[in-house]
Amino acid sequence: MIRLLLVLAAGLVWGAGAQAQGPRVEPPSGTLPGPNLGGPTDSSAPPSVPAQSATPDLVVDLSRARVSITSAFQGESILMFGMFDPPGEVVVVVVGPEARETVLRKQRVLGLWLNTGRQSFENVPAYYAIAASQPLQRLLARGAGGEILSLEDRMSTIKPVGPRSAAELAKFRGGLVEVKRQEGLYPAAIGQVTVQASRLFRVDLPFPSRLPEGVYEVKAYLLRDGKIVAAVSRPLPVGKVGFSAQLAGWASHDGALYGVGAIVMALFAGWLGGAIMRRL
Amino acid sequence: MEIYLPIAEQSMNVFVLLGLGAAAGLLAGMFGVGGGFLATPLLIFVGIPPAVAVASQANQVIANSVSSLQVHWRRGNVDLRMGMVLLLGGMFGSSAGVWLFTYLKRIGQIDFVIAVLYVIMLSTIGLLMLVESLSTYVKRRRNPGAPRGKLHTHYLVHRLPLKLRFYKSKLYISALLPVGLGFLIGILSAILGVGGGFVLVPAMIYLLGMPTAVVIGTSNFQILFVAANVTFLQATTNGTVDVVLALLLILGGVVGAPIGSRLAAKLPGVVLRGLMSILILAVAIELLTELLRTPSSPFSLGIREVQP
Repeated sequence: MIRLLLVLAAGLVWGAGAQAQGPRVEPPSGTLPGPNLGGPTDSSAPPSVPAQSATPDLVVDLSRARVSITSAFQGESILMFGMFDPPGEVVVVVVGPEARETVLRKQRVLGLWLNTGRQSFENVPAYYAIAASQPLQRLLARGAGGEILSLEDRMSTIKPVGPRSAAELAKFRGGLVEVKRQEGLYPAAIGQVTVQASRLFRVDLPFPSRLPEGVYEVKAYLLRDGKIVAAVSRPLPVGKVGFSAQLAGWASHDGALYGVGAIVMALFAGWLGGAIMRRL
Repeated sequence: MEIYLPIAEQSMNVFVLLGLGAAAGLLAGMFGVGGGFLATPLLIFVGIPPAVAVASQANQVIANSVSSLQVHWRRGNVDLRMGMVLLLGGMFGSSAGVWLFTYLKRIGQIDFVIAVLYVIMLSTIGLLMLVESLSTYVKRRRNPGAPRGKLHTHYLVHRLPLKLRFYKSKLYISALLPVGLGFLIGILSAILGVGGGFVLVPAMIYLLGMPTAVVIGTSNFQILFVAANVTFLQATTNGTVDVVLALLLILGGVVGAPIGSRLAAKLPGVVLRGLMSILILAVAIELLTELLRTPSSPFSLGIREVQP
């Protein structure tokens, strides 16, 4: 909470500074420093992206610098907040690391449902969420659609592996979105970006408990008249930490040792359990 | 209380998993079989990916068989020679099973195969047990103290080559038979994450004609090593062994097993077997309806491959 206040305060100072140097005619407030001081006032905050100094119209921060998957992880909601120089609309896009995904389709065979069709796609983001301070369609229709992609547009860029008719591909693509949505990885409605005092904005980014690891990218755009006037990007590392990170790392890097460890653990636990049971 | 399972990559309620382990332990205590054949489908019901459920369950089986083996070893109820011969088949069978498992996982059919095999296996065992316990119950009512039949009869299987003498089991039979049996149980063990005691024990009694006293100990001997082999191979080839999950199941089992053996001492065997058969059939029916019911979505995702 303290950090949030600090960063907001820094943002306010900075925003005012930026205005002082901006094109609009306003009496310069003498005590305010230049835009460079706006960034790392809070040393505990994650390092700022240099893009901010180039476009001082938009400043953002995340309530957490990373998503830590611990033994108690149940999913997490991260707050993105910041301020922008009005007028304008804010769009926030979160993209997870890309990978090849295989979609399986079930069909009824002799009364039983089994997987009969499969289709792989390249460059599928593990996670995709987009939110805006106004209905998205209206914003993107006005020309920013080139860089900012709605989920549908983003999904049309994934590359199918192997030949298949366009109609069939569309079905598999739809299936992919459907499953991802159910898993909370393509959240349909992460809510609007809420704006206060016409310059402060915030949006909650929900992450489910079954979350692929990797470096996610959180991007905020400031749009004026359908054009992007500022963009800030923040990497958001998602990874296991502590005990579960050690176990998972061990399991993937040295499966043999992990296997032996699992066997020894079970032998010991079984022996101990048996010994205790006989005492009772 | 939720706990994150690092290999299953999802969080799950601790008490649900402990409870599952306890239920499996209860069965183990009551019937002297592992209970894995019930724990694995239940794990799948609560949402653990089948591949992880099977591999982690194999890990749990090790603990189960080691604590049971302790008792039988001390009493001298292990036919080591028979155990070794069974194990020879079991090692090959479980290695082949893990290979098959990996192949089925790659082509996206593993969940289906697991479900179908469980339906077949559970409904067969459940029906056999139900019929047996009902007929025993009826017979006992009509004619208490009926004489038992011969211990075992001689079939064609006793004429196979490679005969070996098993002193402890008082048998002189072909080694091919226990090797083949071990092989089949090994495959079952790898694909379904079970020890296989519930198939192995009756087969050893009725097929091999082993004396009942050494059957449980000897089967546990073979199951221990086969389960260790499956755990190792699953960890190295598929990376699906979740030790946190396995440990919770083991802990639950430690609590459940003594309760099971106490219950077994109180209730008559016929009633126990009858109750058990109903439970097994219920799980089989649930698995079958999952296969027959139109899924909420025909789509699912296979393995996610991170690009280099």
